Amino acid sequence: MSENILEVRNVSKSFKEQVVLKNLSFTVKSGETFGLLGPNGAGKTTTMRMIMNILQPDEGEILFQGQPRQRLKGVHFGYLPEERGLYPRARVLDVLVYFGTLNDLAPRKAEVEAIRYLDRLGIIEYTDTRINELSKGIQQKIQFIAAFLHDPDVLILDEPFTGLDPINQSVLQEILEEFKKKNKVLILSTHMMDQAEKMCDHICLINQAQVVIDGSVSNIRKRFREDAYYLEADAPIPFISSLKGIQILEEGKNNYKFVLEEGSVSLAEILKQVEQKTKIRKFEVFEPSLHDIFIRLIQEQTEVKS
Amino acid sequence: MKNIFRVARWEFVSRIKSRSFLFNTFISPFLFTAVITLPLFIFNLQPQITTKLIGLIDLSGQNIKEELQRELNRNYRLDNRSSEYLVMNVAVNNSSSYNRMASKFEEIKSRLDSVSLVYDQIKEQRMEYYKNTRIPNRDYVLRTSYEKLQNTREEKELIEIELSRFKTALDSLYKREAQRMADSLLYTDVLNAYLIFLPDFAKTGIVEYHTKTPGDLREVERFEKILQTIIIKKRILNDQIPRSKLQRWFRPIYLKKYQLLQEGQQEWNFYVQFYGPLIGVFLLFMAIFTAGGYVFSSVLLEKSNRVIEVLLSYVTSSQLMGGKILGLGFLGLVQIFSWFAITGILLSTGIIPADKISYLTMQNALYFLIYFSLGFLFYGAIFVTIGSVSASEYDAQQINQLLRTIAIFPVLLSLLVLANPNAPLIRLLSFIPFLTPSFMIMRIPLSIEPITFDIYGTILLMIVSIGFMIIISGRIFRMSTLMVGKKLTPQEIWTWIKIK
Ligand SMILES: Nc1ncnc2c1ncn2[C@@H]1O[C@H](COP(=O)(O)OP(=O)(O)OP(=O)(O)O)[C@@H](O)[C@H]1O
Ligand SMILES: [Mg+2]
Repeated sequence: MSENILEVRNVSKSFKEQVVLKNLSFTVKSGETFGLLGPNGAGKTTTMRMIMNILQPDEGEILFQGQPRQRLKGVHFGYLPEERGLYPRARVLDVLVYFGTLNDLAPRKAEVEAIRYLDRLGIIEYTDTRINELSKGIQQKIQFIAAFLHDPDVLILDEPFTGLDPINQSVLQEILEEFKKKNKVLILSTHMMDQAEKMCDHICLINQAQVVIDGSVSNIRKRFREDAYYLEADAPIPFISSLKGIQILEEGKNNYKFVLEEGSVSLAEILKQVEQKTKIRKFEVFEPSLHDIFIRLIQEQTEVKS
Repeated sequence: MKNIFRVARWEFVSRIKSRSFLFNTFISPFLFTAVITLPLFIFNLQPQITTKLIGLIDLSGQNIKEELQRELNRNYRLDNRSSEYLVMNVAVNNSSSYNRMASKFEEIKSRLDSVSLVYDQIKEQRMEYYKNTRIPNRDYVLRTSYEKLQNTREEKELIEIELSRFKTALDSLYKREAQRMADSLLYTDVLNAYLIFLPDFAKTGIVEYHTKTPGDLREVERFEKILQTIIIKKRILNDQIPRSKLQRWFRPIYLKKYQLLQEGQQEWNFYVQFYGPLIGVFLLFMAIFTAGGYVFSSVLLEKSNRVIEVLLSYVTSSQLMGGKILGLGFLGLVQIFSWFAITGILLSTGIIPADKISYLTMQNALYFLIYFSLGFLFYGAIFVTIGSVSASEYDAQQINQLLRTIAIFPVLLSLLVLANPNAPLIRLLSFIPFLTPSFMIMRIPLSIEPITFDIYGTILLMIVSIGFMIIISGRIFRMSTLMVGKKLTPQEIWTWIKIK
C-alpha cells in the first residue's frame, strides 16, 4: 500500500495587514490522525480552507502526492467546515445525494452510501425528514456524512466534536479509525485537548502565525516529561516537604507532585515513610497532559513576545 | 463542467416544487389580469344595473321633456333594451309659498282675462257703431265708447305689466323651489342628475347640469352630445326648416375604429391594444423576477448558512454561479412555456379571440423568450452580486425591491408607449439595459412599422451588458462568499473588480 502524503510548505497568508500565517510548514502522512491545534484566531480554519482550495496561499504551496493542490480535483478531499449549515428546507437524503454527486458519485451509489452511513450513525429514520426539523447534533452528523460519503483520500474536519454527545463522539471516533486504516489522510482541529490526546497521533500547534510545536504525540510528551512523580494519599502528609532531597512542584489537599534530587533519597524510602502515616491512594510517574503543554507553550511564547 | 449541471439540477428541482413558484406561475397572472381588468368591468357593468333618473327643471316652456327622453332612448339602451335614462319634471306642488304665489298669479291672470274680454266687447261694439250710421246719437255714443275703450286698455296694460312682473317672480321662485327639491332628490340618490333649461337656452346654448359626480366624463359627454342635438334642432326649426329633413340630418353618427397593420387592416380595440401588452410586461417581469429572485435568495441562503464553504470545496465558484443561473433560467423557461400552453388552451377554446389579437404570433413568442433570457441573465448577474456583497438579508431585500421598481417603471409609461411606441423618448429608454425587456415587450406588439433596428440593437446591447455584468459579478461572488457578517466598503468591492 503506497503512502499518501499531504505537504504544507512555507505557506503564508494575510488578510489585509493582518498576518494570519507566516511560513507555515507541516507534513501529514496517511494512516495517522493529524491534529491542528491552537488558540482562537491562530489560523487553523484558514489553513484548512487553503488545503480545501477555498482560499489561496499568498506564498508557499500545498502538495498532495507531490502534486500542487490547485491542479487536483475536489474529489479527493472531504471537508467538514467549522460553521455548520445545510439547506433548511431540503430533505436529508436529497442533500446527501447532491453532495455525493458533486463529488462524482453516481446518484444511485450516493444514495446507497448515504443510507449506509445514516444507518451507521443511527439516524436512518430521518432519511426523508426536512433538515430544519432536525436537532443541531443530528444536522451535524448529516454534515459528517456529507464530508466522507464519497470516500475521499483526505478528510478535513474543523472542530468535529463540538456539539456532539459522548456516545456520538465515540461513534464518530470509530468511523474515523476505520477511515485511517484505509490509508487516508485525516486532519482535524480541536480545542478539546483530551480529545486530541485520545485521537491524534501527530499534532501541530500553531500560535501567532507560526508553528510552535510539531511532532508525534508520544515524542512531544517525552520532550516535556520532567521525571516528576505524582502521589495521592488518604490524609494530608505535610512532613513530606521537610524531607531531604525532595522538591515539591505542586501541592494539593492530599496530593503532591514532586521531583527527586539526583542521588539524595530513594523513591522506596519516601514511599515507606508515607505509608507509615497514612494509606497511599495513587502513585505514578507524572506524564504532562497535552493540555498542560499547550498552556505552557502558549504562555511562554506570549511572554517572550511581550 | 459536469458540476454546473449538477448544481443547475439541484437548484431547478428544489424550486420547481416550491409553493412560491407554483403561485407565481399559475395564480399571479390570473390575479393580475383580474385586478387590472376589474375597473373595466365595473365601468361597463355598473351603469347597466338600473335605469337612471334624470330630473328636469324646464323654465323655457317649450316642453323639453318629451324631446330629451326621445333622444336619450334613441341613443342609450340597457342590455334588456329598456331605456337607460328616464327623464322626469321636478314638481314643486308641495311648496306652499309657490302655491300661494301661483294662485295669486292665476287670480291676476283671470282678472286680465276678464278685462281683455271687456276690452274686446267694447271694441266689437264700436265696430258696430261705425258700421251702423243710423244709430241715434252716434257721435256721442262713439265718443263715450272710445273713452271706455281707452280706460279699459289702460287697465289691461297695467294688469299685463303686473302679470309679467309676477311671472318673472314666479319663475324665479319656481326655479328656486324646484332646485331645492331636485337637490334633495339628488342628495338622496333618487336622481342621478338634473338639468335646468332657462327660457333662452336655445339662443345662449347654456344648459345647467347638476350632479354629485361631474367627473364622470362618460355621462357628461353623453349629455353634451344629446343637448347639442336638441339645441341645434331647435335653432334650425326656428329657421323654418321642415321636420322631415331634420330627421335625416340628425341620424346618429358612430365612429368605427381601424388601425393600419402590416397584414392588412384590423379593427382597433383599445382593450386588446392596451391590456394585452400590459399583461405581457407583467408576465415578463414576473418570470425575470421569480427566477432572478431565486438566484438571489439561493446565494443569500448558502452564504448565511455557510453551505457555500462545502460547495466551494467541491466545485469552483464559477461552476456554482453558472449552475445557479443555468438551473434557475431553465426554471424561468418552464414557467414561460406553461404560460404559452395556457394561452394556447385559451385560444383554442375561444376564450381569447385569436382573430382579434394580431400580436399573438410565434415570432412574438420568440421575442418574449429572447427578452426573458436577456433580462434574466442581466438581472440574475446583478442579483448574484447583491446576494454576495450584502451583509444581511434585510439589506439585500432592500436592494431587491429597488431593482423591481426600476424594472417595472416602463409600465408607468405604458400609455405613452400606446400613443406612440416609437417616440424618441421611448426609443431612448429602450436602450437602457435595465428597462430594455419591459419596453421592448410593449413596443413590439404595438408598433405598426417593424422596429428591427431597435430589436437587434437592444439585443446586442443587452448581450454586451450581460457579459460585463457576469464578469464583475463572478469576481465579486468569488471574493465575497467567504466573508461573513461583514459590511463591505465600496472600495473593497472596487479592488475585487479590478484584480484579475
Ligand atoms: N475572510 C477573512 N477576512 C479577514 N480576516 C480573516 C478572514 N478569515 C479569517 N480571518 C482572520 O484570520 C485569523 C485566523 O482565523 P481562523 O478562523 O483561521 O482561526 P482559527 O484558528 O480557526 O480560530 P478558532 O479556533 O476561533 O476557530 C483571525 O484573526 C481572523 O480574524
Ligand atoms: Mg476555526
